[in-house]
Amino acid sequence: MLGYVAIGLPCGILCSSIGLNGIQVLLLSYLFYSGAGQFMLPNMYLAGGPLASIIASISFVNTRQMLYAASFAPYCEKASKLLSFFFAATVTDESFGVSIKEFEAGRWSVDRALFVNLFSQSSWAWANFAGVLIGNAIGVPLAIASFAMTSIFICLMVTQRLSAENVVAMVAAMVGVFVCKLVGLTGPAILIGAVVGVVAALVFSRVAPKPQGPLPERTTVVKAGEGQ
Amino acid sequence: MSMSWPEFWIVLVCCGLTILVCRVVPLFVLKGRALPDGVQHALGLIPPAAFAALVANDLLTPGMFDAGLWPAGAPLVAALVVVVVARLTKSLLWCAVAGVVAYAVLLAL
Repeated sequence: MLGYVAIGLPCGILCSSIGLNGIQVLLLSYLFYSGAGQFMLPNMYLAGGPLASIIASISFVNTRQMLYAASFAPYCEKASKLLSFFFAATVTDESFGVSIKEFEAGRWSVDRALFVNLFSQSSWAWANFAGVLIGNAIGVPLAIASFAMTSIFICLMVTQRLSAENVVAMVAAMVGVFVCKLVGLTGPAILIGAVVGVVAALVFSRVAPKPQGPLPERTTVVKAGEGQ
Repeated sequence: MSMSWPEFWIVLVCCGLTILVCRVVPLFVLKGRALPDGVQHALGLIPPAAFAALVANDLLTPGMFDAGLWPAGAPLVAALVVVVVARLTKSLLWCAVAGVVAYAVLLAL
């Protein structure tokens, strides 16, 4: 849970740099609840991206949640619909890692998993809230705040599994973004770049000889808070 | 530059809904079956591509070296420092701290 606080504080500070207040970060943390998403929002807003691009890019990144939901489905069959709903609605990268291990070991139940989720969510939300207060009090310079975000994205990128396929996705995405900017498509550059990256990697995996296992395993999907 | 309440609501409602659908729908629709391999494969590729796109968007701008290699190169050098810290610590917090310090120091040079 410490991880949520450690990274919630800077997230709150960065959100305060685009003028969000404490209530707004609490709403974001409780109703949206996405670490990567809540960093992308101030980042893309500062970069001057149009709202539609911001929303589309954040939603695109968050589609990975489908992987988590799919892997929890077998364990939720016996639980009530309502309980399962609230459990699934509060899963994050970090709590997925914890819960899937416990479920697989057979010593976990949906209500306990939900409890862990809600506890994590509250730690995250109030750390964000405290971050806003700190941000407002010390007035972090914008250039510094925005490089903190860049650093977080670099960390999320290089801690991905560096398989050939993933590296193709990364390089193609970067080239895609650069080309978009070159031709003046600054707003949707991130979304287009990311799609280019995914498509390039899919093409690559079709064309390239497959040395071993054809599919990335579930456990290799990004875990944003890993190692904190 | 400051985000207004209407802008905030639009982002919150749209992003909140899409993430809720992604989190909840597979649970009830799949009923324990696995996602199709192709879909699982593509979804697994999204994080590396998306984070790389975000990094590139922050670091690369056409014509960034028009006014000389420095200080335009400072963010790139600081980024390399973060890459090393990320591989060593795997910690978001340490990366943020290292990045900010490296960037501030390089700009002061």
